Amino acid sequence: MSESDRRTLALAGAKDVIQYDHNHDGIDRRGFLKCMAWAGAGAYCVMQAGVMKSFALGGLGGHNKEELKSELSFVQISDSHVGFSKPANPDVVATLQAAIDKINALPAAPEFLLHTGDISHLSKANEFDTVDQLLKSAKVKDAFFVPGEHDVLNDDGKQYRERYGKNTQGSGWYSFDKSGVHFIGLVNVMNLKAGGLGSLGNEQLEWMEDDVKHLSKSTPIIVFAHIPLWSVYPEWGWGTEDSARALGYLKNFGSVTVLNGHIHQIMQKVEGNVTFHTAMSTAFPQPKPGTAPSPGPMKVPDNELRTVLGITDVNFVQGKHALAVTDQTLA
Amino acid sequence: MNRKSKFCLVMWGMLLALQLVADAQTAQGAGQDSKGATVDVKVDNFSFSPATITIAAGTTVKWTNRDDIPHTIVNDDQKFASKALDTDESYSYTFTKPGTYPYFCSIHPKMTGKVIVQ
Repeated sequence: MSESDRRTLALAGAKDVIQYDHNHDGIDRRGFLKCMAWAGAGAYCVMQAGVMKSFALGGLGGHNKEELKSELSFVQISDSHVGFSKPANPDVVATLQAAIDKINALPAAPEFLLHTGDISHLSKANEFDTVDQLLKSAKVKDAFFVPGEHDVLNDDGKQYRERYGKNTQGSGWYSFDKSGVHFIGLVNVMNLKAGGLGSLGNEQLEWMEDDVKHLSKSTPIIVFAHIPLWSVYPEWGWGTEDSARALGYLKNFGSVTVLNGHIHQIMQKVEGNVTFHTAMSTAFPQPKPGTAPSPGPMKVPDNELRTVLGITDVNFVQGKHALAVTDQTLA
Repeated sequence: MNRKSKFCLVMWGMLLALQLVADAQTAQGAGQDSKGATVDVKVDNFSFSPATITIAAGTTVKWTNRDDIPHTIVNDDQKFASKALDTDESYSYTFTKPGTYPYFCSIHPKMTGKVIVQ
């Protein structure tokens, strides 16, 4: 991009233009991360022709659809924990409904919803029923799930698979394609070993290796799983012991995005071609790593609860490398 | 023996008896106990306490979840496994054979404990 183009775009109000392109792939990672840092306050970022554009969520009405266009947009929610009722949040159904209201208020209806697990709190039938009922009011065409450890209690995930595991294999892994993007749903909450972390297991890893083998390396990949696929904080079990193998199968792909839940807070990291992002919970927050004796539900003042819960909006523009991932809190 | 001495003797006797009972209860809490008794383990703040207990064969261990999140009790070697325990729910297991029984919470596998049966 020429210097005069940069100046023109800057004057036109585009908040960020590429300044650092060390990987020569048209992605300004510092700009991307800076934009994602704004996202907590409600920014909507889109990659268009290599330029990161951001719009304050409140002011989106002032822009036309052309400016906000993307080929694919979907929304991620996580850790709804329906069935939980303790001081950290006595009404997780209300906050899940608030999250769905946020989804329905997005400028363009996302094509589908991704739930990265801990749908229920105790794997009870009525908990799953409640979530299914609430999700009916979400203005999305489809919904995809991966289980959290709270969804596979007492029955090795049998009930989870009956409800959400059609067309999946093993403990519930699968892949699908949307608008040229390849999605891989992984299960890392089964067969956990004492003292261990999340685990994918050999059978699932072999399936994944085979699944991506014949894809063109320019295919954008999105991997979603409940427990983070990178080492956020092993002391609290926030990591997956065999994720390096999974990521190894993706090392030659130009754009890989990993979406996780489990830790009930946003954490993000860019490592080479991979962008990692964890979502907020719609139920209750958890402490930052090492700031509390244990990673349990964290009580915040009542009027602050909705500011630490939220949804994640993801947009993809065909031909561009990075997906635009933005987070919205419930308040 | 005069009345005062008798009184003192009775008082000392009672104190001694109370002390023995207290000792027995403490011993029970520490896990050194006779057969047929129950030892309590508290599950709270993502940990088991006491994390390691030593008991006699025939003793029952009762885990009670006081945390605000569910936990399970699962033996590393699959010899015993509870269902998911919500707050205030309990699980008991009677250990009949001597040995070392490491266990963990299958939902939060970093939580580990051990029962040593003598």
